Amino acid sequence: MSKRCNDGDLLAPYIKRSRIHKAESSNCLSSLSDELLLHILSFLPISSLLLFQSVSRRFHSLAGDSELWKRKYYSQWVRPRARRLASSKHSFLPLSNVGYSPRVSKWLGHSHLTKEGKSTDWQKQYRLRYNWSKGICRATTAELPESLQPPTLVKFCARFVITVDHDHGLRVWDAGNPIVCLAKTPLIHSKARTFAVPTSLAASYRPSQDAVIISVGFKNSHFSVYSMETETPCLTLCFSHCGPAVGAITTIASSYPYIVTLSCRNVLSLYRLPTVKDIEVRGQDDLLEEASLLTSLQSNNITAPMTLSVRNAGSDIISSIVYSFYHMGCGWSIGIQEVHFNERNQQISSRSTTTADCQFGVVSSRPFNQTTTRQQSSLNDYLHRREPSILHREPPTSVSYSHPYLLSSHTDNTLTMHLVVSTASSLYIKGGQRLWGHTSSVSAVQVSDRGKAVSVSSGGGGGDDDDDDVRIWELENLISSFGTQKTFGEKGVQIIPDSKQGLKHEDMDVLSGVPRREPTKDRSSSRNKAYGLARKHNLIGFNDERVLFLRETDMGKQLLKFYDFT
Amino acid sequence: MSSSNPTLVFMSSDGVEITVDRDVAERSLLIKNMLEDLGETGEAIPIPNVNEAVLKKVIEWCAHHKNDPASTGDDDDSRRKTTDIDEWDQKFMQVDQEMLFEIILAANYLDIKGLLDVGCKTVANMIKGKSPEEIRKTFNIQNDFTPEEEDQIRRENEWAEE
Repeated sequence: MSKRCNDGDLLAPYIKRSRIHKAESSNCLSSLSDELLLHILSFLPISSLLLFQSVSRRFHSLAGDSELWKRKYYSQWVRPRARRLASSKHSFLPLSNVGYSPRVSKWLGHSHLTKEGKSTDWQKQYRLRYNWSKGICRATTAELPESLQPPTLVKFCARFVITVDHDHGLRVWDAGNPIVCLAKTPLIHSKARTFAVPTSLAASYRPSQDAVIISVGFKNSHFSVYSMETETPCLTLCFSHCGPAVGAITTIASSYPYIVTLSCRNVLSLYRLPTVKDIEVRGQDDLLEEASLLTSLQSNNITAPMTLSVRNAGSDIISSIVYSFYHMGCGWSIGIQEVHFNERNQQISSRSTTTADCQFGVVSSRPFNQTTTRQQSSLNDYLHRREPSILHREPPTSVSYSHPYLLSSHTDNTLTMHLVVSTASSLYIKGGQRLWGHTSSVSAVQVSDRGKAVSVSSGGGGGDDDDDDVRIWELENLISSFGTQKTFGEKGVQIIPDSKQGLKHEDMDVLSGVPRREPTKDRSSSRNKAYGLARKHNLIGFNDERVLFLRETDMGKQLLKFYDFT
Repeated sequence: MSSSNPTLVFMSSDGVEITVDRDVAERSLLIKNMLEDLGETGEAIPIPNVNEAVLKKVIEWCAHHKNDPASTGDDDDSRRKTTDIDEWDQKFMQVDQEMLFEIILAANYLDIKGLLDVGCKTVANMIKGKSPEEIRKTFNIQNDFTPEEEDQIRRENEWAEE
């Protein structure tokens, strides 16, 4: 009889595992089944797993097992957040109200990774998340070709960089490899057959069509809408609108089929585009001129920075404008106005609120009943009770709103975060929390609906490339301490665009083929430059993998900077 | 059905009969389920994949842990967080590699979750903190990468510094 035998069929019905190890005298790690090895690997920390991948081919694939990494991903990123959310939920926002439904899966920020029928490389996701949390990325710079007309406008959507300028028209680039122009189209207006001057650009991803909807606003107060399928990038003009002469369209936003525009004369217009069905019925030519204007508002006392948004809330469409204004008591403040429409394009309500209303912690239940005296006394309370007060003496450098997050960046090196609460019965702004971390004037901030924000400041240096200070903020963490007396330790994660980590640092000759300049080492050279004036940053956007922003150099050149976290 | 001090008899793969207290034997879910389904036959239960030395070792572990609370199953997350092993188990696992893997295989076969975890944690601890070359040496693993491939993987995996 051999040392072992496998003929014990009595227990066969109880043998759960299909792979029974055939014992040999040379028992070793390699002889274990994949299942057992994965069990062993599940006890290893990330660093050991990565080293283990170098051992052999089999162990490379085992230690890269997607399920294994998924478990690591969840225990590292998802579960702690779920616990935090659960504990902070009660002190936070009224979750039950209509019009405000932060689904937990969305808040947890991973639902997009677990779509049906789509396999996810969890090791890659883990690494991406890790890099974001540490601010580790590769930086590449591209110079935009000079355009005689107003500077090139840039947006970042899905995995595409979209640029538009008078000379080159609308172009779409691959964010992963910005040398490749995926699609382009000249900006010829359908009727006039003349080149138009673009003054604003917006892009939004439409999951149902797997398409990017690009809206371009023009100087002559017209706008055009293009669509591009992500699989086969090809720009199609879907719509072109000649509105009343309200001035150049300075800001545009879209959530198909709605477009909201703001002109230089502060005229806000909300349009509904004809849907594909309409176009089929009536033929395209007729429709190119026909967007139904749902509403138009004008204001004289709002100032830049402003931002527009359109979003669906249940069956309603909510169009909002966020703007800055000067308030005698509170300094520079932010206002928001919302216009609600129902499915039949009927306006339901229009309402507004401002950060001045919430400055003093008297908001919550009765935000609209405050009297001036009450505000004043509250201000005194506020100033004496808490440090720092939020009193901005200069206008914000940028505002960004992605419901419910409202962020503004300031010349005093801080960001301010507010939460917008929009329910069926009321609209108010809650909180007001400064985010500290930047060491110079913050030039731009942008926030995503998943509660991640990216901000940029010029880092205090002169005119060189590499001292931009880019920070990442996980706002969800901050919200949990909202309304409490807890002080923030959070400084955001500073992006380290460097090859110190051994990451590849490729110089890409992008768009115009200008090689990346060597960073100047002398950081103190032009420190005396007034904040925010020497250079302008424009944060174009970010997705799960990249941050993109545009910088104007002293010479008037436009540089695109990519931070790649993969 | 059960007598006051119920015992079972196991027969190891090399034909040795070992008497075990029933409550100790039931640390093995395989045995427990079998007894529930078939009842006691009074015959020796053959354990075909486990030899006498290993089986004795496994029974020793089960005897020591016979009063442990049953694993609840939902502690997966916290269980994996630590590779801490209690002192008795550490001593128990001070065996040569062959025996260690035999115990893991037996624990897997007999479905003894606690023992399987201790065994796997022991191996994990042997891997932890070692370079790939040291791991290969420890476990006698053939490196089937070309130097270029190995270098590439090393570069790709440099990101974690925890």
